[in-house]
Amino acid sequence: MIQQTQYTPTTSKYNFPQSTLEDTTLPTRFIELSLRSIKTIQNNEAALYQPYEAMTDETTEEVTPIFQGQTKLRLNTIPLKPSHQETPVVAIDVSSIKIGETSAGILLAIRGAIVSKKQRQSHYHYLRIGPFPFHITEQNKKEIYQLFRQYSLDTLAPNTTSTPSLIHMQTRITTLLERWLQTGVATQSQNTLILWDGSLTAGTSDSPTHIMMQLLETARNRLNTVLAFSKITRLRLSGQRLTDLIETSKPPCLLQIEGYPTAPTNTIHFLGNIHVAKLTQGNCSFRLDTDRQLPTEQAVEAIQRLMGNDQLSESYPETLRLAHIYSTFTANEVIAIQRLLAQTHGIKTVTRPNIRRLLFGPYGKGPDGA
Amino acid sequence: MRLYKKEGNTVQILSFPTENAEKGDYLLIEDTKPNNKALITQVIDVQFANVPGILEELLRDSTNGDSLNGQDFDPLEVSSHLTYIQDARLLVCKIRASLENGKLSPTSAWLPSRSHSTIKPLPTTALLKLIKINHSLPVQLGETKDESPLNIDATALDGKLNIVTGKKETGKSHLSKLLVLSLLGYGAPVVVLDLNGEYAHLGYGADGKKNEYSSRVNVLTPSENFRVALAQMKLRVVLNILIHALNLPGTSAREFRRIWQFLDERATLTLHELGEAIRNWRCNQHVRDALFSRYYALVNSGFFTDNPSDAVNLEDCFQRVRSGGALVVNLRDTSLVDRQIVVEYLLGKLVDLLTQHKLRAVFLFAEEAHLYLRETYWDDIVTRMRHFGVFTTFVTNQPDTIRENIYRQADNVFLFNFTNEHDLEAVSRAAKVDAETVKSIARDLPAHHCLLLGTAVKDFPIVVRVKALNVQTMGQTRLFFTEKN
Repeated sequence: MIQQTQYTPTTSKYNFPQSTLEDTTLPTRFIELSLRSIKTIQNNEAALYQPYEAMTDETTEEVTPIFQGQTKLRLNTIPLKPSHQETPVVAIDVSSIKIGETSAGILLAIRGAIVSKKQRQSHYHYLRIGPFPFHITEQNKKEIYQLFRQYSLDTLAPNTTSTPSLIHMQTRITTLLERWLQTGVATQSQNTLILWDGSLTAGTSDSPTHIMMQLLETARNRLNTVLAFSKITRLRLSGQRLTDLIETSKPPCLLQIEGYPTAPTNTIHFLGNIHVAKLTQGNCSFRLDTDRQLPTEQAVEAIQRLMGNDQLSESYPETLRLAHIYSTFTANEVIAIQRLLAQTHGIKTVTRPNIRRLLFGPYGKGPDGA
Repeated sequence: MRLYKKEGNTVQILSFPTENAEKGDYLLIEDTKPNNKALITQVIDVQFANVPGILEELLRDSTNGDSLNGQDFDPLEVSSHLTYIQDARLLVCKIRASLENGKLSPTSAWLPSRSHSTIKPLPTTALLKLIKINHSLPVQLGETKDESPLNIDATALDGKLNIVTGKKETGKSHLSKLLVLSLLGYGAPVVVLDLNGEYAHLGYGADGKKNEYSSRVNVLTPSENFRVALAQMKLRVVLNILIHALNLPGTSAREFRRIWQFLDERATLTLHELGEAIRNWRCNQHVRDALFSRYYALVNSGFFTDNPSDAVNLEDCFQRVRSGGALVVNLRDTSLVDRQIVVEYLLGKLVDLLTQHKLRAVFLFAEEAHLYLRETYWDDIVTRMRHFGVFTTFVTNQPDTIRENIYRQADNVFLFNFTNEHDLEAVSRAAKVDAETVKSIARDLPAHHCLLLGTAVKDFPIVVRVKALNVQTMGQTRLFFTEKN
C-alpha cells in the first residue's frame, strides 16, 4: 500500500502531547526494578564511591558512513522556505549519568524528556520521566537489559545478542529508554513532526533494523514525520567535513547527499536520507536524517514546516533544545539522588582517592582537568 | 547542621531548610570525642549554600507559565531532595568562646571534628547561664528572639562608657530612657542632656498621669527654671564658656580674668556690674569690643540672672537626686551657643562637686553630644571625668560624630539598626566585637531591636527586643498635618 501524503489539519485531541503517556507499564516496571536494584547495594555494602567527574551519556553514538570519493556520490543543495502551515512539533531526548560505583557494580540515573509545541499556541509543554536510579551489577544486568529491550523494542523474543558489559550498559539502556519514548510518541501523535536526537541508523543491538523500520512505519502510518538531528557529526567527504561544504550555501538550505550505500555493513542500515541542514544564519549546521521511505518533496516540506512552526536558534529546533535541557542532569541533581539513596537506603557516598592525583600530583588532572 | 569550614575565628555551617537559624542566634558545636569540648558560635550571616549546578536549575525552571509549562513523572520524588539541597544554607558564624568540661574559655585554638561534632542551637537562657551575668541589680531590657527575658546588671554600667546608637526612629531614646529609669530606680543620680525635650515627661505615664518616678525627675529648662548668677560661678568655668563656647581670643580672655578678679574682690559679681566694668576698664578698644560682644551673648542667653531668687543652686539640685533621681536639662528650643554655655557650666559644676566629694558619682546621658560638646571635652569625659565619677552614655544617630578613640574605649555599645555603609563602618570600630558582626547583624535589625555589645553581656553579642515603657517617651515632634487637622 502506498502511503498518501496528507498534511491536512486533524483533530487535535488525538495529537500528542497529552498530560501523561498512555502506556505507563515501563515506568512502573522501572520503579520496581530501580528500587530492587538499589536494594542489592544494601545487601552488599552500603557505600557508594563517587566518580571524579560525572559521566553523562546522551544516547546513541553516531554510526558514520564513510564517503571515500564514491563516483556516484552526489551533493545537492536545496534552498528552504519556512512553511507556516500549523503542525505540532514533538521532541524526545534522554540522558543518563553515572552516580557512582559500588563494590558490585555501577549506579546510574536515567531520565527522559518529551517537549512539544502545540498547534496555534506559542508555548512549549514538557513531560519529564524520571530520574530513575539503577544499580547495575554483573548479577542483575541481564535482567535489567532484558526488561528494557522487552518494553522498548516491544518484543518478547529472547535477546540473541549477549548482554553488554557493565561499561556499556549506561549507553545501551539510555538508548532503549529513548526508543520506548520514541515509540510512545509515534503511536500517540498524528500529523506531527517528531524530532529525535541522533540519527536514523539501525542494526545495532539496541536498535535492531526491523524494530527501527517498524517504528518509522508506525510514525508514517499516523502521518507523522521523523526528523533526526545529530548535534555532533563526523560526516566527511574525502577528508573534508560535510558540514563545512554547506558554508558556501545561503541559509536556509539543505545539503542532500545521494549515492552512498544504505547498508555499509551486513548489519548496519541507514534508514534515513542523510542531509546537512543549515536552517538559520550562524555558524552551526547539523546532520539531519529524514525517513528514507518519504519522498524527498515530503521530507523537504516537513523541514520547511519545522522552520515555520518552531523557533530555530543556530539551525537547531527549540523543541529539541528544550528536550535536551530538561533531560540533562545537573550536579545538584546528582547530589539529590545520592541523598535519596542515603536517606531511603542508607547508602553513603564516599569519594575514592584520585589515583591520578596520588601518582602525578598537580599533573594528574586527567583529560578534563586542563 | 554540619560543620563545613573554619577560617580564623569564623566557621561556616551547612544548614538545611528544616533547621531554623537566624542572624544573632547562638550555636553550640559539640565535639565529645576527645575532651568533651564545645565551641560557642554566633550566626552573623545566613547565605545560600553554593551547591553545584544551581544556576542551571534555576535558569531551567525559571519559566513563566506562558511560554513553557509541563510536568514531571518523578515517582521516587527526587525533586523533593533537590529542593532540599537548593534551599540549603550556609551559616557564617563567629566563635565567641570555647567550652571545656563546662568551663568557658575565650580561646578557640582547637578544631572540632567535621564528622563527629554535633551542632545545636544554644538558647539565650542557656547562654546567659553559661556566661554567668551578675543579677544583683537587674535591668530588664526586653526579650530575646526565643522570648526569654534579657536582664543586664546595673553594675555593668557603673564606671563605664556606653554608646547607644542607631538610625532615626529605631528606639535609641527609648532604650536610654529605660536605662535612666532603671538607674534612678536603684538610687543612682542621673543627668540627662536632653536635646529634644524627650525626657522631660519621664515622670508621667502614657496616660498623662504622674507615675512612680515623677518626684524623682527634675527638669531644668535653661532661661526658664534654670538660671544662674555670676557669683555662683567659678572663673575657670566662665573662661571656658567665653573661650570655647564664645570663641574669646586669648588677649581678651586675660583682660576678662582681671575684670572678674576685680569684681570678685569687691563681691560685685553681677551681670550689670560686669557690663559696667567692661565699659570703664582701661584696655584696648578691640579688646573692649570683643568683651562686650561676649557679654551681650551671655546676657541674651537668658541663662544668667542678677536676681538671687531666680538663680538655681545646682548643688542643691544634685543633692536632690543623689540618692536616686534624674536631672533632665531640657536643651530644646535652645540655640547652639546657649547650649554650649549651659553644658560648659553644668559639666564644670559637676566636676567641682565630684572633686569635692559632694557627689559620689553621676550617670550622664548625652543625646547628640556633638551638638553641644566642645571637641576637647570628649577625651576629657572618657578619661579624666570618668575618674571623677562621671559615667557617660552617648546617644546618637550619627555614629561618625563620635571619634574612633571613644568607640575603642566604650565598655558597652547598644546598637540599633543602621543601613548606611558609612555609619556601619564608623560603629564597627568598637573594640568589643569584630567589624563583620556589627555590619552584618546591625544591618538587619528590626525597629526596637538592639544588639548588645560589651561588658554588660560579657562580650557575647546578644540581640534583644527592647521592652515597652509606660512613660511618655515620645519626642514632641511638631507635625504639620496633625496640627492642621
